[in-house]
Order: sequence, then C-alpha cells, then structure tokens
Amino acid sequence: MPIPFEALIPFGFVTAMFGVTGTLLHAVKTYKNDGKNPRYGLTQWDRQMMERDKRLTGSFRGQTSNPVAPPEFAYNSSLYQSLQPR
Amino acid sequence: MSSPDSIAQTPFIDPTPLPSDIPPVDEVGATSAPLKSAAFFIGAYCKEFNEDFMLCKNENNDPAHCLKEGRKVTRCATDIIRKLREHCEKEFETHWRCLDDRNQEYFRCRPLEREFNTCVWNSLKLEKVIPGTPQGQEPIHLKTKPVFKAS
Repeated sequence: MPIPFEALIPFGFVTAMFGVTGTLLHAVKTYKNDGKNPRYGLTQWDRQMMERDKRLTGSFRGQTSNPVAPPEFAYNSSLYQSLQPR
Repeated sequence: MSSPDSIAQTPFIDPTPLPSDIPPVDEVGATSAPLKSAAFFIGAYCKEFNEDFMLCKNENNDPAHCLKEGRKVTRCATDIIRKLREHCEKEFETHWRCLDDRNQEYFRCRPLEREFNTCVWNSLKLEKVIPGTPQGQEPIHLKTKPVFKAS
C-alpha cells in the first residue's frame, strides 16, 4: 500500500519550525555573547567576575591575559549597582 | 524611582585617587578565564603572600588594615602571569580560550590542561596540587578515566 505522504507534510512543517526557531535562538545567543557559547549556572562569584571582566575589557565576554590593568581600571569600580538587593 | 538621575538607578563610581602616601601598584589585568586557568599556579607561586593576606584579613576585615599585604599579593600575581605568558604563552592561551568557551569548567578542557601543566612544570617547576585531596585518592585532574568527561 503506498505511503500517505500528505500526512507527513505537517510533520515536516513542525520539524522545520522547531529547527528555524532553535537556530535563530542560538544565533541570537551567540551574537549576544561575542561569538562564544552562553554561560549558565552562574553563581554570585561568576557574576562578580564577569562584571570585573566588563570593567577591564569593555565588552560583556571579552577576555584578556595582560599582567597589568590599564590605569583607569583602578577607579572605575562601582560601589553599588543600585539600591535593590542583588 | 524611575528617572535615571535617582540614586537607585545609576551605579555609584568614586573616582577619587588613593592618598599619596600609599605606594601605587598596578592592578592585575587578567580577566576571569586566564585567572581560572592560572589559578593553581598562582596558588603555588604566591603561597606565602596569599596566606599572609588571608591571616591579616582574618584579624581585622577593615580594608585599610591589610593594604601592605594586598600590595604584595597583587605584585606576586602580576609576576606569575608575566612568567606564564613568557614561557608557556601558546598553551596558556589555548587553555583559557577553551575554558572561556565551555562555561569555565575544568573538566571540559582536560587535554589542553595537561599540555599546559607539563609546559609549566618543564619551565617554571610549578605543579598543580588540589589542596584537601584525601590521601590515596587520585586527584581529579590526573584521572585517566574520569566519570564526568567533556561531551
């Protein structure tokens, strides 16, 4: 008996829609993370280190291994971000 | 509460420099991934200065109390990062780039870590030791068949 191919068309649509939205989401996340994989499971330590990275390099996921920091790094730390609790 | 000028919305940055009687020291310029990669070597190289600083802070948590020990820690960390970059630059860079791409988890970058550790051992004679490993248990970074592997 021949395969009912018309019944497989909605399966194809659903797969394609999942694929397109998943790919777009991955692309947006990668763009936001300067081309790297997004970070997950962040603790308070990780968040504080990432804030320090942003102060050092200027970008959200930028990394550098210079031994000494630029001179303005000593004075651009924020004592509190806002009065809301972290 | 919602305008950008209100105190609750903007971060508070204080640009006043330190008083001139405190000797100036350049801050460590490495970000989180290189620091995580070099962490155990900083611990091995700067052990005395780090312990002095922690004991000093233990006595009195006031920031002004431990400035001298803190300056020593900063200078030592800067020194070891400079040495790592001078001797093992390629292995260091590949390891921290790998860590940065994989959520900064050590177990996902073990082969590169092994290469980096051998390079540092050959040039600077520093070994990665995980403090608190029970006697007789193989350290996790030396296990040949770990349970949690990089996928």
